[in-house]
Amino acid sequence: MKDTVYSITFGGIGGQGVLKASEICGWAALYAGYHIKKSEVHGMAQRGGSVESHLRFGKKVYSPLIVTGGADFLVCFHHDEQPRLKAFLKKDGVDLTDLLDKAQAAIDNPRCLNTALVGVLAPKLPIREECWMKAIETVFKPAVVAENKKVFLTGREIGRP
Amino acid sequence: MAKKTVSQKALLSGNEALAYGAYEAGLGVACAYPGTPSTEILETLAGFKDVDAQWSVNEKVAYEVALGAAVAGVRSLFACKHVGLNVAMDPLMTSSYTGVNAGFVIVVADDPGMHSSQNEQDTRWVAIYSKMPMLEPSSPAEAKQFIQEAFNLSERFDTPVMVRMTTRVSHTKEDVALGERRVPPKPAFERNAPKYVMVPGHAYQRHVLVEKRLVKLKALAERSRFNRVERGNGKLGFITSGVAYQYLKDVYPDASYLKLGMSYPFCDDKIKAFAKTVKKLFVVEELDPFLEEHVRTLGVKFTAKDPSFRIGELTPESMPQIVAGRAKREKKVAKRPPRLCAGCPHWASFAALKKMDAYVAGDIGCYTLASLPPTSALHSCLCMGAGVTWHEGWRRGAPDNKKIVGVVGDSTFVHSGVTGLINAAYNKAKGVILVLDNSTTAMTGGQQHPATGLTIRNEPTRKLILEDLCRACGADNVDVVDPMDVKAFAEILEKRVNEDALSVIVSRHPCRLLKR
Repeated sequence: MKDTVYSITFGGIGGQGVLKASEICGWAALYAGYHIKKSEVHGMAQRGGSVESHLRFGKKVYSPLIVTGGADFLVCFHHDEQPRLKAFLKKDGVDLTDLLDKAQAAIDNPRCLNTALVGVLAPKLPIREECWMKAIETVFKPAVVAENKKVFLTGREIGRP
Repeated sequence: MAKKTVSQKALLSGNEALAYGAYEAGLGVACAYPGTPSTEILETLAGFKDVDAQWSVNEKVAYEVALGAAVAGVRSLFACKHVGLNVAMDPLMTSSYTGVNAGFVIVVADDPGMHSSQNEQDTRWVAIYSKMPMLEPSSPAEAKQFIQEAFNLSERFDTPVMVRMTTRVSHTKEDVALGERRVPPKPAFERNAPKYVMVPGHAYQRHVLVEKRLVKLKALAERSRFNRVERGNGKLGFITSGVAYQYLKDVYPDASYLKLGMSYPFCDDKIKAFAKTVKKLFVVEELDPFLEEHVRTLGVKFTAKDPSFRIGELTPESMPQIVAGRAKREKKVAKRPPRLCAGCPHWASFAALKKMDAYVAGDIGCYTLASLPPTSALHSCLCMGAGVTWHEGWRRGAPDNKKIVGVVGDSTFVHSGVTGLINAAYNKAKGVILVLDNSTTAMTGGQQHPATGLTIRNEPTRKLILEDLCRACGADNVDVVDPMDVKAFAEILEKRVNEDALSVIVSRHPCRLLKR
């Protein structure tokens, strides 16, 4: 395993499933054998306020927070939040907000946007497909696992280079 | 209950890791009142069938029940947020004297940056004040390890042990290794008046022991691996604790570190020895100058953060600024503020209050959000229960103002509003208290409380009837109205406000987020 630490900023507004998206990625990274730090904020933020979650994984991770200009990827759930969140991106970081509308259009159930955006992100990370699938099985209730796997694959097609 | 795991690893928050650690250490009884950022500790513990977990009425009650269980012989835990600890300070201070029998651990979660709190008090001072040891994990994996050691320390030194978390440690998730549960042999439950009856003669003798204990704990701090030295290139050295350590390690990987996992008692010799090994020494800690002020008394030369960094949460960005000796630069970013949910019954209650142009003594819960635009109809938020007592205080201070109304949530009323209502009735206060009853502890995510009739595990229990309780407290009138019935609600509010009586209106409509 290389020493590289991957840093991903997830952001949106309360109720959009931002924390769930970072949760899927966190478990996928765990199954892939990485050390993980993921930060989130609970409480007031759930009441429709801005929500962000930082995920970092690699051989060894210290800070759970991504420094300004330190994110490799930005996964944004709402165009209004993008101007604020893009400050986290590295100069050569990848802003997936460009694919937000495409992901939204590709899914039937708007509640699955989180899984779709994780799918968009997935091809860019060194995590095997089986780890993503196991992560989805871990994070979701059995009744919605199949739907989320399907949405994940839809998102992944959008995210492929 | 337990999360799905692979090779005994799980992605756990600091709070969940604490719960798993306590469970593995043989925890028997756990008590708390919900409070961000500490709530998930008890929620996780309630998932373990062999832990007797409860939502207590308030933190004082929780502390006493959990401590009592430890005295009776099982490892016990009390969890709270920083301001919750204030409510439990009475038993806390004297429990330092009584000590424990089986291990007793206090988990307190501070909220630097006030993500969801009314102040950012630094609980580390309580360790000095109460003369009890405090551990301070910097990550979820450490939280799990530290709480297990905390139980051992508690039994070995016959003292409650504090584990201080912060929002960033409580709500960071990390991959954490899980282990087996081991329940230690149960110590005998014995009558021991000199230890447990804190009358002056006994307490004096216990105080002598407390001072001796502190000396032994200090010796432990000197040799403990909680306080770890990491040798770097010797140019730059940091004395640090909590999540600040993690931020520093990313920015200054080659520096030397004295990472303090035991915040109190201080390890003076270790600090002095470390200081000699580095050219330039910094003390970096979140919030108050707790380490800074102590290290200064040791005659060690170092640089501390600019006082502007005592306010708010530290971030990775703060680290180079602190090292450069700069003041904090406030980032002005427009974040979407939280607000009451669409369809929330509180909208209706506050629409009526706004219409009557009321002076509203507020309290702590979702409804505190009614202070923000567009509602702007709640005018105070001090602490749990003050919606009832400030109503009385305002009425006494401004007797000609007939538009003063107190509001308090259902869970908050049970927590500490009820004593204020008894006080108002006893002291012949008049006025109107609205109990905003959405039948849950909504702000912290919807926990049960006595008036929901369900336990932490959603098992049916004796249900507290709020209107009966208010009558028993001595309210002249008690009405129960649905605020969504706008006309009926406005009528009863108008009527009660214009009477010379002490009235409670239970404004009852369930939270929209409740699972039905």
